[in-house]
Amino acid sequence: MEPVFFYIFAGLTLLCGGLVIANPFTRNPVTSAMFLFLTILSMSGLFVLLHAFFLAAVQVLVYAGAVMVLFVFVIMLLDLKEEERRRMKLAAVVLGAVATGVIALAMIGAMRHSRVGLGLESNVAEGSTIALGKNLFANFALPFELVSLLLLVAMIGAVLLSKKDLR
Amino acid sequence: MNLSLLTLELGVIGLALALLLIDLWTPPALTGRLGLAAAIGLLLILALSWNMSGGPPVVGCGGMFARDGLALFFKRLFLAVGVLVVLMGVEYRERLALGFGEFNVILLIALAGMMFAASANDFVLLFVAMELMSVSFYVLVSFQRSRLPSLEAGVKYLILSALAAAFLVFGIALIFGVGNTTNFAALNAEGVRLAQDKLYWLGLLMVLLGLAFKIAAFPLQMWAPDVYQGAPTPVTALLAIGSKAAGFVLLLRVLFVAAPVLAAHWSKLLMLASAVTILYGNLCAIPQRNLKRLLGYSSIANAGYLLLGVAAVNASGAAAVLYYLAGYLFTLAAAFLVICVVMRDNEDIGALAGLSRRSPLLAGALALAMVSLAGVPPLAGFLGKFLLFRALIERGAAESPESFRSYWLAGVAVIGVVISLYYYFAVIRVMYWAKDPPDLSPIIVPARVQIPLAVCLVAMIYLGVMPGAVLAGATEAVKALKF
Repeated sequence: MEPVFFYIFAGLTLLCGGLVIANPFTRNPVTSAMFLFLTILSMSGLFVLLHAFFLAAVQVLVYAGAVMVLFVFVIMLLDLKEEERRRMKLAAVVLGAVATGVIALAMIGAMRHSRVGLGLESNVAEGSTIALGKNLFANFALPFELVSLLLLVAMIGAVLLSKKDLR
Repeated sequence: MNLSLLTLELGVIGLALALLLIDLWTPPALTGRLGLAAAIGLLLILALSWNMSGGPPVVGCGGMFARDGLALFFKRLFLAVGVLVVLMGVEYRERLALGFGEFNVILLIALAGMMFAASANDFVLLFVAMELMSVSFYVLVSFQRSRLPSLEAGVKYLILSALAAAFLVFGIALIFGVGNTTNFAALNAEGVRLAQDKLYWLGLLMVLLGLAFKIAAFPLQMWAPDVYQGAPTPVTALLAIGSKAAGFVLLLRVLFVAAPVLAAHWSKLLMLASAVTILYGNLCAIPQRNLKRLLGYSSIANAGYLLLGVAAVNASGAAAVLYYLAGYLFTLAAAFLVICVVMRDNEDIGALAGLSRRSPLLAGALALAMVSLAGVPPLAGFLGKFLLFRALIERGAAESPESFRSYWLAGVAVIGVVISLYYYFAVIRVMYWAKDPPDLSPIIVPARVQIPLAVCLVAMIYLGVMPGAVLAGATEAVKALKF
């Protein structure tokens, strides 16, 4: 049953991801945001298939919950009409398509000459919260602590750049 | 986690957090003192770094953090940049609309990110250190939020940096997928087996793309002129020196610690990138009238010269990169110090007219910096370029006799240097021989600028005339790398 679900979730992820950036029916940013929401949901499905239940839950809670609400909030604050009226430039579309094509070709070419997935057995234990916690606080403690510094900079920066009165 | 390994980094982070708190109780009139305190703190940490030299290389914190000669060399470099840029910030204080205290805090955290990058022995730490730098720079570049160019530069840096980071993460994911580890030493141990897998190659290529953004090399060099022009001058200096040096130390580590097997194969690719970067930077710099923009293109050209040393794939090439970066630090710091003092609102080269009569010290310093950048003996810039070219010729001699690739590249680089003479000397000409300069009022140079400027000038000449000590240090430092 697993392969079937994999293809369903992977297909949904790709389809919705494509519709986020290039929707032929509407150019409304809110629609794009909703498709991003669906992309994140189907990706969390992929995490479940990998037995990473905690990551799947976090994906839904943090990204689909908090981050997406923020996105929609920002979109609401901005002027949508301007964005919808903007014409797509042919040169930009062609360049984007060429760049995507080159990267896709490189990926496919590399995949054909590789042995990905051989000799790897599914590791059920690694997805658990215990394993994740051990990784974060033992093996990857230094980068984990550094991220706190990163968040501090982001917070100071956000306050500075949006504060109303300048001292 | 062995905290004694992280002494220097913890010192810088502690200094940043202390400044953040002290700033709350400091009256606005005294914030300039905080900048001086930060500079003194960094100087003390720099002095401490001499206490740490020697001893065998140590890898700690779960195999992520390497303390070896290479890391120490770059950490000293970053701390020296930090001192100079913080002093530049004190001079620039009135022009920053926002809190000056926070400016120093974010600057120090960016510096800590660079220092972690110098020690990165794992792709996870590499990524986190790079993001720490990038996020700090997003804020720093757009710090003058009432100035439109500053905001524009900030948005450009944010979007392009995010694109580069996406490439980097994708590459790291592919490497992890193939190798099942992100540790440099573990990847190197499996190097021959992994090199049979083309996905591993693709992953590393994407990582190199992400790093090319940081060093402003082709094909991700487009952002440099715009961001350099729009950012506040001290931030431009930190971007031009610190961020580029951090990019190069990561490039050296990825190529020659994690994947020496592939590095030999990629010499050709690096040579191509280097040639295009040199020509692009130098040719585009010719018509520029804005001095900071000109230095932006010049920084692209210099990334190209530095790539020569990486493309040579030998120890003398890597040592030349380290030496060149040390010379580049003092040269650019001198140039940006002068820009900071002289160009208050007009950054056009024309604003320098008559500088030789307004302030002989500033004119002399900028002239010396331009001469060093152009690569005229006996200054640091000349010897740096000479060492890079020599490493490349060594590479050419080691290759098969039918292959003239290295010699071709050396030829392109020489052409680049000749082109650069034109625009560097145009700056000097304006300062000394401009016809009827509009403003001849003398400029008073405060001591907090005079002292760092004098240090830069002495260092520029010392490095060019007596390179022995620094070059020996660089040669010792690159022993951490495998070729």
